[in-house]
Amino acid sequence: MTFKKLYLFLLFSICQSALAQHDSIHHLAVVEISDLQLKNYSDSQSVLKISDSIINKNQASLTSLLNYNTIIYFKENGLGMVSSPSFRGTTAQQTAVVWNGININSQLNGQTDFNTITTRDFNSISVRAGGGSSIYGSSAIGGSIHLNNTVKFEDHFSNSLRLNYGSFNTFGGNYKLDASDGKFSAQVSISRNSSDNDYDYVDSDDKNLNGQYYNTSMNAAIGYKINDNNFLKLYSYVFDGERHFSLIFPSEIKTKYQDLNTRNLLEWDSFFGRFVSKVKVGALSEKYKYFDNIDSESYTFGEVKTYIGKYDLAFQATDAIQLNAILDYTQNKGKGSDIKNEQRNIGSASLLLKHNLTKKLLYEASLRKEFTNNYKSPLLFSLGTSWKAADFYTLKLNGSKNFRVPTFNDLYWQPGGNENLKPESSYQAELGNEFRFNAFKITLTGYYIDIKDMLRWIPNGSNWSPQNTNKVRTYGGEAIVSWSKNFGNHHVMLNGTYGYTVSEDMEKKKQLIYVPYHKATSSLSYSWKKLSADYQLLYNGEVFTRSDNNSRYNIDAYLVSNASLNYGFGKKNSCILGFQVLNLLDEKYASVESRYLPGRNFNMYLTLNF
Amino acid sequence: MLFASSLFLASCSSDDNSSNESLGDYDNGVFVLNEGNSTITTSSVTFISNSGAVEQDVFRNVNPEAAEMGTLLQSMFFDDTRAFIISGLANKITVVDRYTFKFIATISTDFRSPRYGVVVNGKAYVTNYDNYEVGSDDFLTVIDLSNYTTSRVAMNNWSEKIIEENGKIYIMNGYFGSGTSVTVFNPATNSIETTIPLGFSPNAFEEENGTLYVLGSEKLAKINLSTNTVVGTPITVAAATSAGARNLNIEDNKIYYTVDTAVFAMAANATAAPTVPLLTYESQSIYGRMYGFAVNDGKIYIADGGDFSSDSQIYIYSTTGTLLNPVAVGVGPNGFYFN
Repeated sequence: MTFKKLYLFLLFSICQSALAQHDSIHHLAVVEISDLQLKNYSDSQSVLKISDSIINKNQASLTSLLNYNTIIYFKENGLGMVSSPSFRGTTAQQTAVVWNGININSQLNGQTDFNTITTRDFNSISVRAGGGSSIYGSSAIGGSIHLNNTVKFEDHFSNSLRLNYGSFNTFGGNYKLDASDGKFSAQVSISRNSSDNDYDYVDSDDKNLNGQYYNTSMNAAIGYKINDNNFLKLYSYVFDGERHFSLIFPSEIKTKYQDLNTRNLLEWDSFFGRFVSKVKVGALSEKYKYFDNIDSESYTFGEVKTYIGKYDLAFQATDAIQLNAILDYTQNKGKGSDIKNEQRNIGSASLLLKHNLTKKLLYEASLRKEFTNNYKSPLLFSLGTSWKAADFYTLKLNGSKNFRVPTFNDLYWQPGGNENLKPESSYQAELGNEFRFNAFKITLTGYYIDIKDMLRWIPNGSNWSPQNTNKVRTYGGEAIVSWSKNFGNHHVMLNGTYGYTVSEDMEKKKQLIYVPYHKATSSLSYSWKKLSADYQLLYNGEVFTRSDNNSRYNIDAYLVSNASLNYGFGKKNSCILGFQVLNLLDEKYASVESRYLPGRNFNMYLTLNF
Repeated sequence: MLFASSLFLASCSSDDNSSNESLGDYDNGVFVLNEGNSTITTSSVTFISNSGAVEQDVFRNVNPEAAEMGTLLQSMFFDDTRAFIISGLANKITVVDRYTFKFIATISTDFRSPRYGVVVNGKAYVTNYDNYEVGSDDFLTVIDLSNYTTSRVAMNNWSEKIIEENGKIYIMNGYFGSGTSVTVFNPATNSIETTIPLGFSPNAFEEENGTLYVLGSEKLAKINLSTNTVVGTPITVAAATSAGARNLNIEDNKIYYTVDTAVFAMAANATAAPTVPLLTYESQSIYGRMYGFAVNDGKIYIADGGDFSSDSQIYIYSTTGTLLNPVAVGVGPNGFYFN
């Protein structure tokens, strides 16, 4: 009897602790990333997650990573120079870059220069295709790119150092510390990239002149567990870089450009009952200096300081229904040599809902409204559903209204800024089909985007001024394929993407310039024991450079490939030595007219894990 | 037109050796300079002969192997045998034979965003704006045309358009609203002789019979070149609220200028500006209305900049305002040069 009682008691207490354990694991999973909406409210859209192992195999710039692994098309003014994306045929201002849940597109020009982000500073980078303004705000029309750091509280300690050196005196270094004792968690990454970047053009006597660059960045994600229900996190990112802008003609005046960006976010996560509350405060700054003659000290500059206060409350109403309310207050203070000193305040409220009707069918909805005096703000929404119709097949449907708000340059440029602008806005819909057969997965998505009030600078008296004029319609289809298989010690993995994009100016009835109809990427990885080999392919269809689509001046299609080989030493691959050949086929190519990219070149790398 | 040019190109690429004969002579016609945008293939020169025959992309047709002229072609100037083509972005001048367009040389020293040029006594004088926000760093590039060596002369003032008259060089000190004078430069001493204040910012000027006519966005002033002073009070030619007057041309004792898409004409000695335009042309262009303008031999030439991203048009009118014909040209046409 006594024994039986004791047994019951023990059993009970074990259950208790198992429950507590479960709660705590749930909490840790929620605390792990800041951008919870990416995980919880993206079921009806396609999200491609690029893991750190893929990040490590690619070149350090965000341009290169996404160019070789996604359907996003890039225009790059020479290697490492200004790089702007076109996601689903949209403009560079219509792709949002989200750092740990915070939209970091420039407040000055509305876009992110993808060569000012070092990928090695992040644990994972996700590409969320399609509309996302009702969650992420401005610019999430073509899609959004999510740079995430994970904060983990399980006991661990690791250091890694990655060094690479290659052609054109290109150096890359990255040190990463990742540790936790259960109470504190720290992840710190420091990167340095530099290159003389003076490559010879293929089949030409000319070379890339004045293309040298360097950048240094530091990214930290620090966590502190106050107790099982309260956590503090601090995310911090600094990017400091200088690029000389490469020349087309040797006689051009040499110019250079400096970026200094800082991003800090403090977050307090707490759990009570069915609620998860996240209080976030952020301080961001962006600053550029442009020297239009490197022999002179004079420069033009722009600077914006941003302060963010955010309250994010998630509520698990029932086992099947999740709700999430987000209140956000953002203040931007801008100044510069060409803009009026201005401050803008934007408040926003969002409400998100996900309802699992059955285990196989769910829908999600979101609403967002911004409140500001600086532009007329529409009500944004998104409505989507995901239905697992069969074990191997999931159907997704999503429709949304999104926007891109006028930037500081649009509003306050002196002279010409127009303070009476509407945001660019879009209605869009997409249909996704996901098939899985064991290790084979294919996603086929079709989309349609109707964008109005596109901003364009036009003359107004003797000044130029932006107006809401253009209409663009973009539609297309994309396929994402992955497959992997093990044969004994052999492991093979294949990934591929293909995008077909039509992006039409509704006035001219012509394809937009610099939007290819076709883009495809593919990568094949093979590993055997400690040896692994990778091969990447990028195909970019021809693009128009003339608005009348005069094909005589098209930029030719190109097919570029990279190959790499690496070997791991030590028991746990504590040392990895690798060798890469970039542009293996020595293709002469340019993504922007006359801005040739390098021919065949080489790169060696060493990774130490200790 | 496009058909004709593609035919021409086809014949050119199929047999390069015969290209000289098929090109003929660039005497007796007008060059249209197509400024282009920042990419190489958009910059070109179109030739329209007096008989009306049109040839696109003259430079590349004649010189398929020569170095490119550059991007953002700003202007051209001439001496007796040569044409000089200024590229603002490539920071250089391409020298060609003005009648055959054969490539002769590239000059690429001592430039910082060159603008306009003129030739006096075997030397070319080219204005440079250097830092576009500052006038005090503007300078002249002096080119010895016997060997294409260069030197600089500081101007210490906004320096744009440049003309020669009676052995003196006149430099318009006006740059998009900055600068309000005309500099008189003596090439014999290689120094500034005097500066004539205007009281407004000039954007075009032309000499006729000892008088220098200077146009600003609202005013037209006349300078007596024997005294280097403004005669009387400048005439008001456009309202402050208008797009502003530009493109001054004097032909057959008449002053022509433009406001937005309208062309105005008045007698050279008029004391008040006309209120009714001679003609107005239709433009779809938002950046490049009346991007180039000239009056020559009883005809008015208007270049429409288009969208700077595709081939555009020029329009030729009679001086009574009748449209004679539109001609398709290259990207962003900005000037006419009669040969």
